[in-house]
Amino acid sequence: MRRVIVQSALLSALAAYTAFAAGPFLWIAIMSFRTTSEISADPYALPDTFHWWKYPEAWFNSNYETYFWNSTQVMVVSVVLLSILGAMAAHCLARYKFPGNRLVFFLIFSAIILPPQITIIGVFQLLVEYGLYNSLVGLTLVYISMQLPLTVYILEGFFARLPQDLFDAARLDGYSDFEIFWRITLPIGLPAIATTVILNMIYIWNEFLFAVVLLSDDSKRTLPLGIQRFLGDHLEDTGMLATGLMIAVIPIIVIYVFFSEKMIQGMTAGAVK
Amino acid sequence: MAVVELEHITKTYPGMQTPAVDDVMLTIDHGEFMVLLGPSGCGKTTTLRMIAGLESISSGTLRIDGEVMNRVPAKDRDIAMVFQSYALYPHMTVGKNLAFGLRRRRTPAPEIKRRVEATAEMLGLSDLLDRKPFALSGGQRQRVALGRAIVRDPKVFLFDEPLSNLDATLRVYTRNELIKQYRRLGTTMIYVTHDQVEAMTMGTQVCVMNQGRVVQAGKPLEVYRDPADTFVASFIGNPPTNLIEAEVVAGEGGVEARLGATRIPIPGYTESDLAQLPGRQVIFGIRPEDMYLARPASEVNSRYGALPMEVISVEPLGAETLLVLGAPGIGKDVIARLGRETAARVGETLEVYLDLQALHLFDPKTTRKLPRSGVSARRDTVAGARRSERPDVRTEGT
Repeated sequence: MRRVIVQSALLSALAAYTAFAAGPFLWIAIMSFRTTSEISADPYALPDTFHWWKYPEAWFNSNYETYFWNSTQVMVVSVVLLSILGAMAAHCLARYKFPGNRLVFFLIFSAIILPPQITIIGVFQLLVEYGLYNSLVGLTLVYISMQLPLTVYILEGFFARLPQDLFDAARLDGYSDFEIFWRITLPIGLPAIATTVILNMIYIWNEFLFAVVLLSDDSKRTLPLGIQRFLGDHLEDTGMLATGLMIAVIPIIVIYVFFSEKMIQGMTAGAVK
Repeated sequence: MAVVELEHITKTYPGMQTPAVDDVMLTIDHGEFMVLLGPSGCGKTTTLRMIAGLESISSGTLRIDGEVMNRVPAKDRDIAMVFQSYALYPHMTVGKNLAFGLRRRRTPAPEIKRRVEATAEMLGLSDLLDRKPFALSGGQRQRVALGRAIVRDPKVFLFDEPLSNLDATLRVYTRNELIKQYRRLGTTMIYVTHDQVEAMTMGTQVCVMNQGRVVQAGKPLEVYRDPADTFVASFIGNPPTNLIEAEVVAGEGGVEARLGATRIPIPGYTESDLAQLPGRQVIFGIRPEDMYLARPASEVNSRYGALPMEVISVEPLGAETLLVLGAPGIGKDVIARLGRETAARVGETLEVYLDLQALHLFDPKTTRKLPRSGVSARRDTVAGARRSERPDVRTEGT
């Protein structure tokens, strides 16, 4: 009897949290098929008619196609460079004993605690000085520098747990330091790398602050800025806003569904000997 | 096969006052199976890693086949190593693990295939080539680790406690497999272990290390029967050698050792051998199997010294019986290893006979064994011939 009560209480709590977390998402999904006037009349109603035309409308007529590809370019290049540079840095910090190893790691790690709001002005000035303001290249470089500390931190923790014997065996087999990194560390470290890939993808895809400050041309905007277009001074196109949000969210959901297993492996790797 | 020479090899880690390996002098001949034996932290693994090239040498010279190897990278020393943790690449199959080292050396693909298959056949791994390490048992992983070394056909094999992760049954089986492979390959092997059973059964030579130094090196039975100091005497042998503090006194027939209230003659030693001992104190060493409850009738009396001792506990192990004994004036318990039919009661006082030709005397200050200058012991021949008589058997009512 006690077990039934405990399980019921747990299930109720889980259901409440699911409703709390998924509810707003479901609401936006429903609104994405309704017009603004329908939403104004009854914000929480189900659609009488599914207005599928809103998706191609947003994509072609509201420039979402451009914003989507800008976001994709920035995200893919950033994540690839973050993974390579982060993995290399983490491998060196985890495997090699050199003077200042822990100091370098501490300096990289301590950058995580800095909120973006503190660095935004300095970053803006830097990009203007180097002619990278209002460019996707500049934004990519900013994202890499902002996410590199966390990437290195996560990967260094994972790589440090790999047995030293593996690397000694590879050295005896004749492999160079780079070959050991490429053939041993990277393949074994895939779960951790997948974790950082997902975390970086989500952050960069949804990032708004640096994008809104560092980009001014409409042709260079990323998706979060594109969504903002539907927020006017006097009018808020709630219907298109919801549709835009769904277009932005769907790729992240798809990536997470495919990579989440690797992410959990990466986060819990080494937890049990 | 190769000759490996270590000349004054020392390793001191940065910031450490004491060297981890201190002035090691050792030669491992062609085809020798050298076991580096010692407790944890004695420097045996560090020595092995310096031979492999995985650790730098602080001072001294390492030669393999006469060629100085100090600055030669690990990959160019033609050495293969089997690690304690096996070090199998988890993302590769058994076949790829075996082939990994050969690929780096640009061995032609057909040759790689031939050697991998031959090695797998030799070690019973042919059916496991497509499996990954996580799908293998401990013994199978050990064989893959060994196979990865064999397939390279190196001049020297190095083993870093390869059996320590196996359970007792598998350890015995794998130990015999390793001995078989050694006999088949005949390659120079250097084996690190803290297990004296492995050292005694596998090695053609044993090098006992302690606190970074070589204490004694020699054939296993030589090291067992003639320990160089109290450390070797107590480390090798289970139960270990009984080490009893004694006083040297002059007796009717020569020098005697006073153990508690009893005086035991110590043949082979003269006054001059022991004159320098401060306070005439000495450490008297006797192995448990050199203690008996009855003197064989055919042996001369002078061969054995009698010591009355009280039984503190009896440990029947099935194949043998251990008696823990004590006597007034002897500061610690003494263990005797006797036959399985030994009957003794706790509290009983027994006359225990010590094989005087098997005793060792050690300097209490230096802990080194005191050399004999008198009649040689000749105990190996005599003791070996008499071992089968089991003079210690004493049944109920005797």
